[in-house]
Amino acid sequence: MSLTFTPVIGIEVHIQLKTKSKVFCKCGTDYTNDPPNSHVCPVCMGLPGSLPVLNRSVVQQGMLAGLALNCHILPTTFFFRKSYYYPDLPKGFQITQSDLPIAAEGWLEIHDDAGKLKKIRINRLHLEEDVGKLHHSTTDGRLEGASTSFVDYNRSGLPLAEIVSEPDVSSAREAVEYVTSLRRRVRYSGASDVDLEKGMMRFDANVSVKCSDGRWGKRSEVKNMNSFRALERAIEYEIKRQSKILADGGEVSQETRHWNDAKGVTTGMRVKEFYRKFIVEPDLPPLVVSSHWVDETRARLPEMPIERAARYEKDMGLSETDAAVLTDSIDVARYFEDTVKSGANPQRAGNWVRTEVLRFVNEKQISVDDLTVKPASLAELLARVESGKLSTTQAKGVFEEMLTGLSIEDAIKKTGAVEGGVGAGALLVLVKSILAANPDVVEEIKSGKDTKGKKVKFLQGLIMREAKGQAKPDEAASAIEAALKDE
Amino acid sequence: MDIYELSARDIALGVRDKKFSAVEAFDSCLSRLSACEGKIAALITRTAERGREQAKAIDALIAKKEDVGPLGGVPTVLKDNMCARGIRTTAGSRILGDWEPPYSATVWDLLQNAGATLLGKANMDEFAMGNTTGTSAFGPTANPCDITRVPGGSSGGSAAAVSAGYSPFALGSDTGGSIRQPASYCGIYGFKPTYGLVSRYGLIAYGSSLDQIGPFARDMEDLALVMSVLARHDPKDSTSVPGKNFDFTLKEGAVKGKKIALVKDFKDFTLDSPIADAMKRVSDILEKEGALITEVSLPTVARYAVACYYAIAASEAHTNLARYDGVRYGYRVSDEGMNLKESFEKVRSEGFGVEVKSRIIAGTCLTEPVRSEEYYVAATRVRTLIASEFTLAFKGADCILQPVTPSLPEKIGFVDDDATKGYESDLYTLPVNMAGLPGLSFFTGYAADSGLPVGLQLVGPRWSDATLLNIGFELQKILGRPKIANGGI
Repeated sequence: MSLTFTPVIGIEVHIQLKTKSKVFCKCGTDYTNDPPNSHVCPVCMGLPGSLPVLNRSVVQQGMLAGLALNCHILPTTFFFRKSYYYPDLPKGFQITQSDLPIAAEGWLEIHDDAGKLKKIRINRLHLEEDVGKLHHSTTDGRLEGASTSFVDYNRSGLPLAEIVSEPDVSSAREAVEYVTSLRRRVRYSGASDVDLEKGMMRFDANVSVKCSDGRWGKRSEVKNMNSFRALERAIEYEIKRQSKILADGGEVSQETRHWNDAKGVTTGMRVKEFYRKFIVEPDLPPLVVSSHWVDETRARLPEMPIERAARYEKDMGLSETDAAVLTDSIDVARYFEDTVKSGANPQRAGNWVRTEVLRFVNEKQISVDDLTVKPASLAELLARVESGKLSTTQAKGVFEEMLTGLSIEDAIKKTGAVEGGVGAGALLVLVKSILAANPDVVEEIKSGKDTKGKKVKFLQGLIMREAKGQAKPDEAASAIEAALKDE
Repeated sequence: MDIYELSARDIALGVRDKKFSAVEAFDSCLSRLSACEGKIAALITRTAERGREQAKAIDALIAKKEDVGPLGGVPTVLKDNMCARGIRTTAGSRILGDWEPPYSATVWDLLQNAGATLLGKANMDEFAMGNTTGTSAFGPTANPCDITRVPGGSSGGSAAAVSAGYSPFALGSDTGGSIRQPASYCGIYGFKPTYGLVSRYGLIAYGSSLDQIGPFARDMEDLALVMSVLARHDPKDSTSVPGKNFDFTLKEGAVKGKKIALVKDFKDFTLDSPIADAMKRVSDILEKEGALITEVSLPTVARYAVACYYAIAASEAHTNLARYDGVRYGYRVSDEGMNLKESFEKVRSEGFGVEVKSRIIAGTCLTEPVRSEEYYVAATRVRTLIASEFTLAFKGADCILQPVTPSLPEKIGFVDDDATKGYESDLYTLPVNMAGLPGLSFFTGYAADSGLPVGLQLVGPRWSDATLLNIGFELQKILGRPKIANGGI
């Protein structure tokens, strides 16, 4: 009889909370282009005699993230000193809330591998400080064997929230869905930018495997995953590794393992996991959060993506896909909703935001908030399409111009689009877009196969339709001819 | 009379009225220091040049008729666990090397703003762990009243400096008696304020929830004057309590009508006769001055405070001292070919003294995950009991009169093998820190046989700081002020 293995997985996610200054001092959190150790002070360097002072906005952001993950907020919580020795830890201890956290008992809904909805329970969200960053001279970037190491304390004292799930995750795919949903919700709340490339979100996974014969392997804690892909691969690797040990009749030992992304393997820490001990942080009084503050924070929490997407489908008649794309990030959702509020038809607006707007912002790597075309202007443009004053193709041309900063009127002038009629300039734009959309037809005409001019007629028909009968057929034909020569 | 013999008030007044300059005041204190320091060794670092520059700046302000502050031109000494920007700060340890802090402790900023000038940084037990100043990596300090005896500790250098007349006042820190006990041994006044009244920012920590900075002085008026400068809320210290604007102007008639208690549970412990006599004498005086002498019971304090104190102090200390690893500052070793662990081990083995190591080890053991609940956590719970026991006691009394120590200062190098005596020597000071209370160590006179100074202690509820100082002021009128110790010369 062949054995089967059921993975049991808990995920720990560290996110960097979005604040101007660090968690216990006034040093700035944005040091992107600054040299190492340029954003430090006696407090985040742990100099003798320095004392931590809790940054109120870190508490605020922690609560916001907790509420976004359906946690409740605890009115009185504490900070601890978690002791271990490492050169990136300037005080020899990390200040952390540990298991007496600001937020607890939350949950997220994901789909299991069969597609059914399931809840992943969140044990807690606790606040803590980040450590410095080590740069080792070894090829694998690890401390072991390095002859020289450098420490940059710019990161030391950045505000972190650690979000600890219950072991409710059953596969690598589920894990990725969980962290994807978590990331989206936290970003929605405004508690963090959760930019993976900037290291604002990091993962650890506690993986164990249960064998169908009743044996249960001990769990290993896998560290050092900085991307969704790494998390997925590390968990898959760990499940295979542990299953094989159990299949071979061996025992899985409890240990901390390091994910090596380049080699695609987890390796046991050569040095035994540092011994971690806790005492109450005597330099910080208990953190007391008033119910008024919690209510105020809750009121600031925007509608979350799942709820929002459901509303788009139900109230606005959007497709599930459109709703999902539009709610993926809150700035896009807000842009879309503002466009609708300015009078645009929801489905048309959804379609435009999803295609035209997102194409442009993705291409330019900007945020929708930075667009020169504000939702009200887009709504105005769409209203003209709705009323038939502009064709969709014309409107797209006008939109392109508006993106360069022109007003809707100037953009219309520039493209030569005549509302309710197609002028020569606009006709050429229209012809070009039709040709671009039908490359195979163009190819046939050019290759001389279209001896009867059927294909030209076909394009002419498209143009007339798109121009809603506002163009003259002979002008359209000559425009096609001219455009083909240009090709 | 030399300037160094004057009180802080009189030096400030003399400078302000141009009877003498701040530089003259500084030089007078400096020459007294130079005369005695060979015998006393109160300082780790002298800051003559820096201090004289400060004094010159004060004189320049006076010439421009500007306000120089209540301590304008008054020389002082800081215990060497308080950071002063750009001045070597050692905490009495090798491990800090020649570290010069890039910032100043809040208390030093306050004193500087009030016009004080710095003579030097005072010797202390390493990281304030000790009660003789003998665990200092820089050698022991002698008691200016009898240079064969210890000055007490851990703030022994500060106490000796004031006692010998280097400066009219100095700052110390008190984690379990480290101001009150040396004040008593050196025949001066020492005050440990309510926890949270004086900022700890820039104080190199020993037991953070117990540490508190306070002044030494040769009279109550100076003690109160310095408190009026130090008692400020500091946003850089989260345990500093806002909204406590005390008036430290001393007031007459503080004793009349006060209920002053003796602790019933302390009666089982014996006191050296000069101290027992002083207890009797002072309580009689208080009664005669119109106080009601009463009794309070502190059974948990008497039984458990000492053990719990050591558990908490060591637990906090081992985390506070974890940062000394030689990576960023301080003592360095040649660690060629060593791995990280070996390098840390070498730095810490060579950098720390025996007393500090033993407390780090104790703290490490007491907080191990398997033992933490039984020791560290249990101690924090008993601490809560101790605090409530005091709160209850103070419902029936305005303050408590008790010894500082059961005996007078020992000879330097004397090792007491009697463990009970060790326990009793801590009994009167440690519980005060456990409950965050204010404690005043005051001078009562000199022992008839040995001539050694005898001090006693007043302990009050939290925030009764001004009341304690007022009672001390009344007592000083009757008991008299101490004279400057001969300093071995």
